[in-house]
Formats: sequence, C-alpha cells, structure tokens
Amino acid sequence: MKYLSLLLVLCFSLSLQAQKVKTRSGYVKFFSDAPVEDITAENNQVSSILDLENGSFAFLVPIKAFQFEKALMQEHFNENYMESGQYPKATFKGKIANFEGLDLSKDGQYKASFVGSMTIHGQSQEINETVLLTVKDGKLSLECEFTLKCSDYGVEIPAAKKDNISDQLLLTVKIDYA
Amino acid sequence: MLKRLAFILCLVPLCTYAQDDLLSELEEDQPETTQYTFATWKGTKVVNLQTNELPGKGTLQYTILHRFGAFNDDFFYNFMGLDNAQVRLTLDYSPTPWLNLGAGHTGFRKTYDVFAKYRLLRQSKGSVNMPVSVTGFSSAYYSALRIDDGIERGFGRRMSYVHELIIARKFSQNFSAQIVPTLIHSNLVERTADNNTQIAIGLAARYKITPMHAITVEWVPVLNPNQYPNFEADPLALPADVPFQNFSNALSIGIDIETGGHVFQLFVTNARGVAEPYAFAQNTGSWLDGDLHFGFNISRVFTMVR
Repeated sequence: MKYLSLLLVLCFSLSLQAQKVKTRSGYVKFFSDAPVEDITAENNQVSSILDLENGSFAFLVPIKAFQFEKALMQEHFNENYMESGQYPKATFKGKIANFEGLDLSKDGQYKASFVGSMTIHGQSQEINETVLLTVKDGKLSLECEFTLKCSDYGVEIPAAKKDNISDQLLLTVKIDYA
Repeated sequence: MLKRLAFILCLVPLCTYAQDDLLSELEEDQPETTQYTFATWKGTKVVNLQTNELPGKGTLQYTILHRFGAFNDDFFYNFMGLDNAQVRLTLDYSPTPWLNLGAGHTGFRKTYDVFAKYRLLRQSKGSVNMPVSVTGFSSAYYSALRIDDGIERGFGRRMSYVHELIIARKFSQNFSAQIVPTLIHSNLVERTADNNTQIAIGLAARYKITPMHAITVEWVPVLNPNQYPNFEADPLALPADVPFQNFSNALSIGIDIETGGHVFQLFVTNARGVAEPYAFAQNTGSWLDGDLHFGFNISRVFTMVR
C-alpha cells in the first residue's frame, strides 16, 4: 500500500509535467514601416511554454537577441529605445480562450483568440489578439501576427526620428513546441 | 491513515504546479549567457582621446573634426573664432568586429596619418565576468610641412607615433569612464633637452542626460611634459634668452548629440592641434589664459557589408 501510493504520486507528477510543452528557439520578428526607411529585426531565441491542461502560455523575449541588418541600428535599438541594460527581456503571459473546446489530439489548424499581459520596456499592457494553432504529427505550433504601439510601452520615438521609425510595429510570432 | 497520507501526497504536485507561474518556470530554464556591454560611448572619440568603441563590422566611418580660433584672440572680430579653423578628416573601416583601420589628414603641420584600433577585452557579465573593456589604438603621423630653417628633415624626422591603451567601464546606463595610458613619441623635438617619448594618462567620463545626449569631460595630463619657446612672453628677449614654458595638458568639456547615423560632438578645448601628438603633447593653449577653442567632431557611418 505504501509503495502503491508512492508510485501513484510519481505517476501523477510525471503526467503533469508532460502536459506542458516548451521551446527555447521560438521566433519573433518586428517590422516598422516609416516614410524614409523600413526596419526589420528578428529574434530566434524566444522561450515559450504552453500548458496543455488549460491553454495558458507564456513568452520570454531576450531584447538583445534581436538582429538588425545594421550594427548601429541594433545598438541604438538597445541603448536608446528599449534600454535593454535596464529591461533585458520582454514577457507575455496569457491564456487561449476556449482552449478546452479545441481537440488538439488530431492534426489540423485551429484559430483561437487569446488575452494576456505583455510587458515591454518595464511597462505592461493587456492585449487581446488571435492565434493560429497547428497540430502536425502530434507537435503543436503557434503563429500569430499583430501590431503594437511603442508609445504604449513608454518607448518614445523623438520627433526627428518619426520619418525613420514607426510608432506602430507589426509583430510576427512563430513557435514550434517540442 | 496511510491511505489518507497517500491522497494528500497526490495533491502536493498538483498544488505546486498550479501555483508555479509559467513565466518563472521559463526564467529558470534560461541558459546562462555572456552579456557584453555595448555603447559605453556614443562615438569612437571623446574629444581628443579615443574611446573603446569601434564601428561595427563592415562599417565605413567618415569623421570631420574642427577646432576654431581662440576665445582670447579678438573673439568677435574673428566671428567667435569661426573664421580661423583647424581641420582634420579621417576615413576608417572595420573589416572585423575587433579591428578598425583608417587614415587621416590634419591641417596643422600638414600631417598625414594611418591608424589601427583593436579590441582586446570586452566588459561583460553572466558566464564571463569582465569588469572593463580594453581597446588598443596605434597611429603614425607624417608631417609634410615645408620648413626652411636649415635643419635636415628626412622622412624619419617627420614621423611621430601615438599609442593608447583604452581601459573603459560603463558603470551604469548613463555613466561611463575610462583611463587611457598614452605613449607619444616624436622623432624630432624642439630642444636636445626635450623628451622624444612622453607618457600621458588620459581620463575621460560621460554622463547621458537623455538617450541621445551626453555630457563629456576629458583631461590628458602629460607626466613628462616638454617646453616650448614662448616668443610672446618677452618680445624683446634676444634669441638665446627666449623664455621657455611648459606645454599645457589638454582639458575639454563637451556634449555628444546622436542622430542615427551621425554623432555630433561639440566642445570647448584648449588643444588646437587636432591630431593626437599635437593635442596631447604640443599644446600651447591654457584654460587659465582663456586660450580656449570651440570645436566639433562629426562622424557619419555607412554600412558597406551586411
């Protein structure tokens, strides 16, 4: 009886762990479309975790890992705008709505909305967007696209730079969970 | 009893996992990486001293440096000194992230120079902890000035050299400072008693007042200064009795303004010879006499290779 209960405990915790999927190599891109120039930066070091139990998920984006085409642009992004010495990462914590209603055991694509709190540059905003979940060969991946405003997160574009940097950024997120 | 215990035990992992925040679970998962410090300075120079910064790999940098006329020399007649500019131009390129090569021309003494700047250590924290960045700078100067004083001036005698070892630290987002042991060597000096080789300890600091603006201060005391004949001190003295006076140490105070691809540095300095050997070791201007000059350094970078 003693061993049985121990075994039970062990099984329980194991099965719980298996109900979360993670990755450390997620992808985030942002795109700024301004009159003078377009700026794109990509990040392949995004961590994410998704709880298959209830559809809650989280992201962690190391700001310094954003790669720009110009070295100086990357430096200015970190030093002048994101202040990544002080705020080294952006985070997101949220929940996919009606997650229990999705049958992720079958291959296919599922559109769902999610809500959550995004923290960038030390400031948090509630966001409400849609996400595309794909199940293929039992593996779950997530894709979404949305815009955010720099000014909502206390990142001010000086007037002289308004023609180079847009306040509205288009974000693309692609995560393949292991 | 045992059954009840088992039941409670079963609940334990459930409870802990439910409380465990997904984000903190991600945080724990993060591998330890080395975080290199960047943007210790806005530009590759403070005023006259180099900084530990190098332009990024594949970047071509063009700089224009001006030092205007003295405040104590008919300031308004000379349009605040602007009528009377000393100019230096440089062009440099970084073939790798740790090496920068360049060439320059300075109006003062018609000087041509080549220089190399190389990164030796980078300030970092994380898996590699390094308190300072260390960068080397070496340059050679050739003065093409026509002088007709009977002294033979071959190629060698027209050369001088400067080496700087820049030890910099970014203390916070806004405050950076550096100490720069500097070696200045001139093959030809004014008097036999003068030192051909001089040592200076450059000190510089900056404080950022906004993300785009910073206040900079720089002082370069020479440990074994040379002297120069000061003809103005006693105009009636016979050539053999002209009084000698120590060269002054360069002290500069300025502001850095960054606008994307440019860095504008505007400052007041007592060093007028824009190239390093003149600015550090052959500087006749003194702050106490009001022998000060407006000046600027402007840099422009072009990304050649992405």
